[in-house]
Amino acid sequence: MKKILSLTVNGDTYEVAVSPWKTLLDVLRDNLGLMGTKRGCSIGTCGVCTVIIDGKAILSCLTLALECEGKAITTIEGISSEGSLHPVQKSFIENGAIQCGYCSPGIIMTAKALLDENPHPSDDEIKEALAGTFCRCTGHVKIMEAIKKVSQPAGEGASHAPGK
Amino acid sequence: MRLPRFEFLKPASLEESLGLLEKSGRKAKVLAGGTDLLVNMKYGVLRPETVVSIKAIPELCSISSEKDGQTIIGASVTLSDLAGNSLIAERFPAFQLAVRSVASKHIRNMASLGGNICFDTRCWYYNQSKLWRDARELCHRTGGSVCHAIKGSKRCHAINASDTAPALIALDAKIAVMKKGQKRLIPAKEFYRDDGIRHTVLEPEEMVTSIQLPEGNGNSQSTFIKVSMRKGIDFATGSIAAAASVNGKGVAGVRLVVGSIASAPVLLEKTAQLIIESGLTEKSIEKAAETARSELGTLTNLFTTAGYKRHLAEVLVKRALSELKEKIGRARK
Repeated sequence: MKKILSLTVNGDTYEVAVSPWKTLLDVLRDNLGLMGTKRGCSIGTCGVCTVIIDGKAILSCLTLALECEGKAITTIEGISSEGSLHPVQKSFIENGAIQCGYCSPGIIMTAKALLDENPHPSDDEIKEALAGTFCRCTGHVKIMEAIKKVSQPAGEGASHAPGK
Repeated sequence: MRLPRFEFLKPASLEESLGLLEKSGRKAKVLAGGTDLLVNMKYGVLRPETVVSIKAIPELCSISSEKDGQTIIGASVTLSDLAGNSLIAERFPAFQLAVRSVASKHIRNMASLGGNICFDTRCWYYNQSKLWRDARELCHRTGGSVCHAIKGSKRCHAINASDTAPALIALDAKIAVMKKGQKRLIPAKEFYRDDGIRHTVLEPEEMVTSIQLPEGNGNSQSTFIKVSMRKGIDFATGSIAAAASVNGKGVAGVRLVVGSIASAPVLLEKTAQLIIESGLTEKSIEKAAETARSELGTLTNLFTTAGYKRHLAEVLVKRALSELKEKIGRARK
């Protein structure tokens, strides 16, 4: 039996009729048309479905939609504002931390959650946060670099900029 | 993979949830983090008619220090909350290391402590999609009468891969379990059963409400080591939790618990006794590791070979005891 659920995604409130067995990922993609959040392994190991709920990186494939009533949900669509990309997104592009792009939304949301909580993480802290995500095209080196560039204090990052 | 259909209930109080479990019994499953239950439901290995979410119950979501020195952790407290708790880190190092070793940060943000201790046992013939399982005869676990992991076995040998279970046993924690009108306090060691199917003593209408850790006194040290294929995400191929207390005369008590190699965590009593009798020296640690090999009893070839498990346990005992020796040495200075 469907229930009427009020969901707050990227600051907008939606009312959707949802069956109990629908995950947040199902509702984001199928009901709200927010296709940025990807479906990968479905069992919580790949991290492509990562969204941020109340400041924490959460796997939307293992979260029942009905459990999200009243929570602030941020998806990849919600982090850029008025046509300008989020610094993490920019850094991923500038540092070539993207290949096919399937894992990017999940990894960018994971990185954003980390940096919001800890603006200057150590390498180990970045690795710990990324442990729940997978890039199957290449590796996590460029991704690490991209995140490190955003996390460096102003000025310091510039010295590592390409061409210098 | 999609979830099968079920009825979803989200009681606001403990009383209400116990009432629901009493009514539904075997047909219901308790949901907290969902990182184990929902995966098993997607695979179709668990098919509850009713799912009872305990996330909205305030008393299950808190960590408290009691006057008598005990620390009480609600069943719905997330592993991330425990990993970042300085009081837990200071008093119960083995437990905190175990918590921090679980899967990934994403999973720890969601998974509950109650869920990690009740965490379903695993087998590579069982934790598979329905299509995959259907290619073989039904096993003990799926309603048949064979075991694919050990031919001819009359029981299920699925492995208990909980990381927190060995730590809680080593630290002599107690698990509070409730059903309508009744509460039981079970020592962590007695909570587990050496059976892949009914791996805990929990009755269908019961649920874990809290975990109680005894006062960590200044004379005790503990540690936890996990070995897995990759540091992130993977289940342990073997783990060990070790705790020791010292008095003026020497080592007063030792508890060694090996996890993820059998259907229940293995408490090594003989090995611990050897350390109590001969103290923590390089020689006694060598001897203890050898004793551990034989104390493990029969092992299975599930996930890794029995020989590998035995060797791993020996190495883990050696490493854990050496760490304890060093920690005790440092505390004395």
